[in-house]
Amino acid sequence: MNSLPGLLGFAPGTLAIWAAMLFGVTCALAYLRSMRTPALLPFAENLSPNLLFARRLYYAYVFSVLLASFLLLTRLLSHDFRISYVASYSGRDLPFYYLFSTFWAGQEGSFLLWLFWGALIGLFVLRSAREQEAPVMVVYLATFLGIVAILVKQSPFRFLAQIPPDGQGLNPLLQDPWMVIHPPVMFSGFASLSVPFAFAIGALWMKRWDGWVVRAMPWALFTFVTLGTAILMGGYWAYKTLGWGGYWGWDPVENTSLVPWLATVALVHGMVLQKMRAKHRKINIILAILAFCCILYGTFLTRSGVLADFSVHSFIDLGITGWLVGIILVFFVGGLALLAWRWKEIPVVSDVDAATGKEKEEPFLSRSVLFILSVTLFCASGLVILLGTSAPILTRVVGKPSQVATSFYNVTHRPIVGLMALLLLLVPYLSWRGESGKGVLRKALVPLIVGLLGVGVFFAAGVRGAGDLLILALAVAGFVANAETAVLFVRRKAVKTMGGYLAHIGMSIMLVGILISGVYEKRTTVNLVRNQPVTVGSNTLTFTRTVFVTDSGVVKRPEELNAMDLSDRRAKQAMEVEVSSPGRSVWKAYPKLYTNTRTNQMMANPDVKSSPLMDLYVSPQAYDPGRSARIEGTTFALKKGESKTVEGLKVKFLDFSADRSQVSSARPHVTVTGNFLVTTAEASEEKTARLVMYFGEATESATESPETTLPGKGRLKLLKVSPNEGICEIELLGVAPGGDLKPATGETLSVDVTTKPLISLVWGGFYVMMAGGLTALVRRARDSRQAAIA
Amino acid sequence: MKRAYWAGALLVIGFLALGLSTFTRSMTPYVSFAEAKAAPRTVQVMGALEKGTSRYDTGSKTLYFTLLDPKSHDSIPVSYTDVKPANFEDAVSIVAIGRYESGVFAAEKLLVKCPSKYQGEEIEKQYGAKKA
Repeated sequence: MNSLPGLLGFAPGTLAIWAAMLFGVTCALAYLRSMRTPALLPFAENLSPNLLFARRLYYAYVFSVLLASFLLLTRLLSHDFRISYVASYSGRDLPFYYLFSTFWAGQEGSFLLWLFWGALIGLFVLRSAREQEAPVMVVYLATFLGIVAILVKQSPFRFLAQIPPDGQGLNPLLQDPWMVIHPPVMFSGFASLSVPFAFAIGALWMKRWDGWVVRAMPWALFTFVTLGTAILMGGYWAYKTLGWGGYWGWDPVENTSLVPWLATVALVHGMVLQKMRAKHRKINIILAILAFCCILYGTFLTRSGVLADFSVHSFIDLGITGWLVGIILVFFVGGLALLAWRWKEIPVVSDVDAATGKEKEEPFLSRSVLFILSVTLFCASGLVILLGTSAPILTRVVGKPSQVATSFYNVTHRPIVGLMALLLLLVPYLSWRGESGKGVLRKALVPLIVGLLGVGVFFAAGVRGAGDLLILALAVAGFVANAETAVLFVRRKAVKTMGGYLAHIGMSIMLVGILISGVYEKRTTVNLVRNQPVTVGSNTLTFTRTVFVTDSGVVKRPEELNAMDLSDRRAKQAMEVEVSSPGRSVWKAYPKLYTNTRTNQMMANPDVKSSPLMDLYVSPQAYDPGRSARIEGTTFALKKGESKTVEGLKVKFLDFSADRSQVSSARPHVTVTGNFLVTTAEASEEKTARLVMYFGEATESATESPETTLPGKGRLKLLKVSPNEGICEIELLGVAPGGDLKPATGETLSVDVTTKPLISLVWGGFYVMMAGGLTALVRRARDSRQAAIA
Repeated sequence: MKRAYWAGALLVIGFLALGLSTFTRSMTPYVSFAEAKAAPRTVQVMGALEKGTSRYDTGSKTLYFTLLDPKSHDSIPVSYTDVKPANFEDAVSIVAIGRYESGVFAAEKLLVKCPSKYQGEEIEKQYGAKKA
């Protein structure tokens, strides 16, 4: 019996996870059984008892997952340090909101968060799937059971053999308001990607080629919004808090969340295409499978430790690599195998021209072609990023593991982004039936003219790259074209159906922001000596003093800190830098540079002054408190028998002896005597130097190094002796020609000063794009509710 | 429609060519110190900081230090002209990306890995995991 608590850890929690596994598996089986009796229409009023039974099992599964999450949360909030997870990621010093966020600070907790969202989203999927409920729920559940299995193996409720007095605390980098909300949003996006996958596999299974798109589209849009928001939040955090100098660094962790999002964008476009044309069915099934597998692959890359040497994030191997690879293979190979098996059965619709009996060609300038091209572009972008991120693994196979420089992503994305901007511009003017080139050109004339004017403005502002100007022209024209259309929709009171145009407006705004802020930022590193103004561009910076900034942003002098600030370690050391520029009021920047007392890590947070046209970004790099003038000689270490010559004075270390007779006296001490042979141009003489080491309580420990006068010139001090290695450290004074007086060094702060033009458009454009996504989500959810599908 | 597919195929091929050529050009392989000294291109090396070798010249804003390969006991002098990375002295391993020129490995980028104290394994080492 003794081993049972060890196996269970915190028993209620572990049992809840086991219950989730049990209910999950039985629920999937019950849904399978319910498929033997075909559903009757109208669906909602005719639920078979078998289906109802499966639903109840699903509710039991949801309850188990919620219970496990709730229990982990209560353990964290009550500082139950018996549990390994609680002791590893939380601590007593954390305020409530950070304590709450320790739930997802580690691997097990973030997997549980993934399951939490999956369980909740499933409740809605179950109702909105309607006639497709049984097959979809079987696949949907299956996508989460692998994660449940990981948690059964690696429970977040494991106990430690001994109970530590306090936890390790939360990584200081994660102690940021953005990090409280970023992971939950991210994982809701991850979890929702299982929905299109489940519908696509359900479609292959039941041979329901078009109906699944109607039901799955709102969920693809849900992923578009949640995952997109999470990605941008992460970028904003990196920009405002981490001081990496930008919002995007092409780091594997960032890339592996971007690729599934790009796949989702491609899927949304493919779904619209299929819905409008009742064609191109294979594309969407492939995209849904790929998007989901990208999430799994990303999880594998970032959590298995394979990229540990290639990312600034620390990754550790939890011993689940094999499981993750297994899960990926099951869904990827399984999904593609099913697709291959059904490939011939997927109906290919061809429009046959009644007059000639030949297949009708779809006109080149039509929305169909535009949508296919956009799907291609998003896929190309995703593949390139996937290729770059996987480079260390791919190259390990053929030889030495290598990494790609970030320029790889930038170079390859220029043509992609340019073409995207072109499609953005064309889409409002093309119908599904097709247009003539002349007609499109006539309609797009106004936006193109505005685009050219925009180029003029950017050229005047200093943009010179031809490629940059071309992309900017297309983006501005695309903005005008989509905005024009959006205005038309508002006038016709058709706001509900303009989600796509809104998203495109946002995208074109973002393109301008990304390009200008990325290519035309100016970064300068300056050393600011206290109270000495330094001019960078049009700004003059003066480092005036060091202060403390509390969590709520109050600036305090060191003597003003109260017990609360200190006990909680909430007040952080910051440097006050006054930034003045002609015609503007003085801005006081407070970049923070402080040592986290738990880890002794140096932390740096930038300060940003945002304005619509330009952000001024002050990022602290190093702080030197300075030193007053002092006497300091030449210091070096010698081994027994070794000698060193300084300014014609040769010092040879002969040996040393220690006098331990005073070890138990009133003031215990040991006296070490070193013997040196000192040779000058004139004479050679043996000299001794003493080192007295007092010991006892920490306050009494001290060393004394009396100076020994040397023949000719200079003095010698014995600083340190390592008896085991026979090494001594000595200081020579009065020997160097410049003298031993070291001048004072000023208090210095080095900062990176960066100007980022138009970065506000990145955030602004993003809001518009998400508003578009939400609008489309509402519309497609209504479509799905109203659609009766056989 | 056929034309669309041709256009798409052309795009894809053109793009693949661009992607692959950029890929091979922007590759920075991990190499040993000996190989880095012989290589005429940008590479990455990884090693531990040799104690007591780091020196920061504030005038030229250059950091000098020696990397030590814990396995082969090989070493390589490195220079890095930028602000000294935070926690540089505590690093357990340092990745330097750059090229070897006239006796010094001139790094363009440093990845400094500090001992992470936020790993579950640590506390389990200290307090022991309860075994079944």
